[in-house]
Amino acid sequence: MRMANSALEANETFMYQVERVKKKNRKLSFIKGMLFLLPSLILFSVFLFYPMLKTIYLSFFLTDAKGATTVFVGWDNYKEIFTDSVFLKGMKNTFLFVFYTVPLTVIISLFLTVIANEKLKGIGVFRTIFSSTMGVSVAAASVFWLYLFNPTMGLLNKFLELLGAESIGWLTDPDWALFAVSVTTIWMNIGFTFLILLGGLQSIDSSLYESADIEGSSYFYKLRRITIPMLSPTLFFVITVSIINAFQTFGQIDILTQGGPANETNLIVYSIYREAFVNYQFGSASAQAIVLFIFILLMTALQFKLGERRVHYQ
Amino acid sequence: MMLSAGKKAIFYVLLIISAFLIAGPALMAIVMSFMTNQDILTGSLPTTISLDNYFAAFTRFPLLQYFLNSFIVSIVIMLGQLILSALAAYAFVFLEFKGRDFLFYLFIATMMVPFEASVIPNFHIIRDLGWIDRYSGLTVPFFATAFGTFLLRQNFKQIPKELREASQIEGIGDFKFFLKVILPVSRTSLVTYGIYSFLTSWNMYLWPLLVTTNDTVRTVQIGLKQLQTQEQLNDWGVIMAGAVIIILPTLILLFLGQKKLQKGLTEGALK
Amino acid sequence: MKKIMMVLTLSLVFILAACSGGNSNPVDGSQNKETEKTGSEKSSEKQLVTFWHSMGGAGQDALNSIVEDFNKSQDNIQVNAEYQGTYDESLTKFNAVAGTDSAPTMIQTFEIGTKSMINSGNIIPIQEFVDADGYEMSGLEKNIINYYSLDGKFYSMPFNSSTPVMYYNKDAFKAAGLDPENPPATYEEVEEASKKIVAAHSDMKGFALQAYGWLWEQLLANQGALLLNNDNGRSKTPTEIGWTEEEGKSILNWVKHMVDDGTFANYGTNGDNMVAGFLAGDVSMFLQSSASARDVIDNAPFEVGIAFLPHPENKERQGVVIGGASLWMIDGKPEEETKAAWEFMKYLQTPEVQGKWHVGTGYFAINPAAYDEQVVKEAWAEKPQLQVTVEQLQSTKPSFATQGALMDMLPEGRKITEAALESVYNGGDVDEAHQNAVKQFNEAIKKANKARGE
Repeated sequence: MRMANSALEANETFMYQVERVKKKNRKLSFIKGMLFLLPSLILFSVFLFYPMLKTIYLSFFLTDAKGATTVFVGWDNYKEIFTDSVFLKGMKNTFLFVFYTVPLTVIISLFLTVIANEKLKGIGVFRTIFSSTMGVSVAAASVFWLYLFNPTMGLLNKFLELLGAESIGWLTDPDWALFAVSVTTIWMNIGFTFLILLGGLQSIDSSLYESADIEGSSYFYKLRRITIPMLSPTLFFVITVSIINAFQTFGQIDILTQGGPANETNLIVYSIYREAFVNYQFGSASAQAIVLFIFILLMTALQFKLGERRVHYQ
Repeated sequence: MMLSAGKKAIFYVLLIISAFLIAGPALMAIVMSFMTNQDILTGSLPTTISLDNYFAAFTRFPLLQYFLNSFIVSIVIMLGQLILSALAAYAFVFLEFKGRDFLFYLFIATMMVPFEASVIPNFHIIRDLGWIDRYSGLTVPFFATAFGTFLLRQNFKQIPKELREASQIEGIGDFKFFLKVILPVSRTSLVTYGIYSFLTSWNMYLWPLLVTTNDTVRTVQIGLKQLQTQEQLNDWGVIMAGAVIIILPTLILLFLGQKKLQKGLTEGALK
Repeated sequence: MKKIMMVLTLSLVFILAACSGGNSNPVDGSQNKETEKTGSEKSSEKQLVTFWHSMGGAGQDALNSIVEDFNKSQDNIQVNAEYQGTYDESLTKFNAVAGTDSAPTMIQTFEIGTKSMINSGNIIPIQEFVDADGYEMSGLEKNIINYYSLDGKFYSMPFNSSTPVMYYNKDAFKAAGLDPENPPATYEEVEEASKKIVAAHSDMKGFALQAYGWLWEQLLANQGALLLNNDNGRSKTPTEIGWTEEEGKSILNWVKHMVDDGTFANYGTNGDNMVAGFLAGDVSMFLQSSASARDVIDNAPFEVGIAFLPHPENKERQGVVIGGASLWMIDGKPEEETKAAWEFMKYLQTPEVQGKWHVGTGYFAINPAAYDEQVVKEAWAEKPQLQVTVEQLQSTKPSFATQGALMDMLPEGRKITEAALESVYNGGDVDEAHQNAVKQFNEAIKKANKARGE
């Protein structure tokens, strides 16, 4: 009895000690994990979380030109932007812009990837050219296209002239401006998207194609039944990143149209920039930023929910 | 997979047309950079070829100084991002601790904060730190990156966990294991991410303009902006020459690193 | 191929060298600080003046050469002219660093930033230096004095100044049977001339108006209309817009008529494209800053005429408001430094410098004495059109309308009127465009007043 008791006691102390060691280990691994993450966390806190909190704070105030708060207005900034026709138009056009650029970028890049994936002589040169737009900065790319879209000297209108067609006010006609900015954006994003998709394509197991060849499947059958499904994780990644980037488009708008004609290309991030840099309305700029953040967050969450089910994992 | 001659021809035609369309804008810029303004404005084909635009671009502002600054800034950001994101990715893959998943999603969420939206508060921080006109103001805010962490995390996940268990039995600590095993093993993806991060840093333009007030630390993208005027006629030839100058280094880097870049970026995208 | 490889290898070496250089560099930029130090040691006896400006392209060239001349002309002061992006970007930056060591000694700001600068409280009114120094400002252009003095007090030193004028293609006028020496002066005449141009040249439009808020302000002023109430904000803080519906719509209707006639060329907000179109013979008349005069005349393969800004037939021409930018002295700098900056400002006003500036850029000489300089006389003899820009400025009738509006929300107001113009260019309804613009403008004024706690 005594012995049994002491054994039980010993057992208990042992269990207790195990618990303690476990706890200690957990604590230790938590500290270790934090140590690895600390540099990132500190910088995120200073340059991201803190500005974000400040943005939330500012969105409830009016400010002077220096960004100091002057009058507390509660939810007024939010109410105002949602009744402001310019902001609502910007919102609509931002979604349209995402809708124009993301699918087209992915489809064009996919097409380029497929034709550049063949084993042909000199294919390396083509791959290099297709990925080259990744090395062109927003500033440089916008300048190129600004000239291409030039109503008088631009090559696009010259070309139309040759065809005998009416020239187009690419950046001044409300029907074309958003499209023109989208074309520029697609061109800029092709390089990056192409590179990633090509890598994804090359990592597909070649035996899949070989067995399809034996069965005598056609080229397009293979494309539809092997290439696209096997590429789906890469596609998913590319689409997610592209959507986030498209929502945050800024540089090309600033150089090409500055939001014109009549706010037709005034996408949200550009409108935020203008509220802050030109109008000194930091309160309203902050409210717009918060709304945009929430939208991107929702879109991405939705995408993960819908997209991941369709993605085919190996 | 062997291709018939006919199919080959189709592919070549498609490839050549696409290459021409993709490279078109840059080719046009290169041609224009050698043309006189008169030729450009009247829309004629080049009647004379000259290097005048390049000379003009070089004398308009201290281009070499800007170049050096761009290199320093891009390299420092690249190293900073590599170190910080590799450390963070290691923690997310090999360490198990409370709140890890929460922190990971927090990291991912930071990707969704539009940078331009928080530019002003960030600028105030830089001012308060006294980092205006310093390399630190141009680089440090970008060290922590969700994209890099995400990419490297996906990559580290492919490294067998047994490696770590074995090293733990041998009594090798986490940090040593990280330095001696993980980093060498994932060399390719580190180089890839390095190139990517160099390219994006090289191409920044709003932030460098904001946090610099004089030429000592300015980067080349600001130079391109300076070539454009507000109330006078744009000198397109010089602007194109400037654009060609600033994209040249990135294009070279891209061509050299193309294979690695393609491989490494996809590893992040998969799974 | 071998050659290409060699070039690539060389570039790689270059990149690697730069990389290793980057590695050894301290991240905090202390190296940079050192070079700055040695830089200032070299000129230890010289007083440094930091001058922020927003002149890109050719303007920057002209400005740099003036600054260089000044630095060479004496041994005590070294002016460093530093480009800060557009006026908007420069002001945002200034607002953030005002009061810190990063702030400049003097800054160039556009005319519509005048009120924000005064409100900021970080500036020293130029009047203090004028009084202390016994400097005579009355020699400056009358119109410029009217804009920049408030209650008889100068807050900033006028610098690059321009007004809008109408450029026209004399050759195209001749070919269309129009008198090239007698350009249209009223809206109605412009419409008529445009029709004739289009009839004579199948691929040329008659008239172009850049969607630019500044031109809207000028077209209002020319009919004697106010932009803001309370005398354009000169007597009290404005509470709403100052133009009447008739005055505002006259501009939009004018454009609308030409759009309907098919004689209007739409270049949106891009002035550069518009000038390029003019030079290529796509359009025969356009309104633009007089600062472009030199460039336009030099680059046109035909004879360029310059005329006064048009006005509605039923209104008398009132003249134009001065545009451009002025120089501000920043508060909180050592007295030595501000004094040195003041010396530089005075240097900029001298007839020789102004003459050079006028000829080099097309901006006005703010000091009319410059027009007697030899360089100016020569330039005028060669390009008599330049003189028209000065005549228009000097024939302006002084009033609150032509004195120009003062308010801190003017940059925002410009974007609003630009959107209204653009919607009409693209076939939008005049009443609706005008109504929206007025509504948004008034809201912006209210909000700006509220933010200031007024």
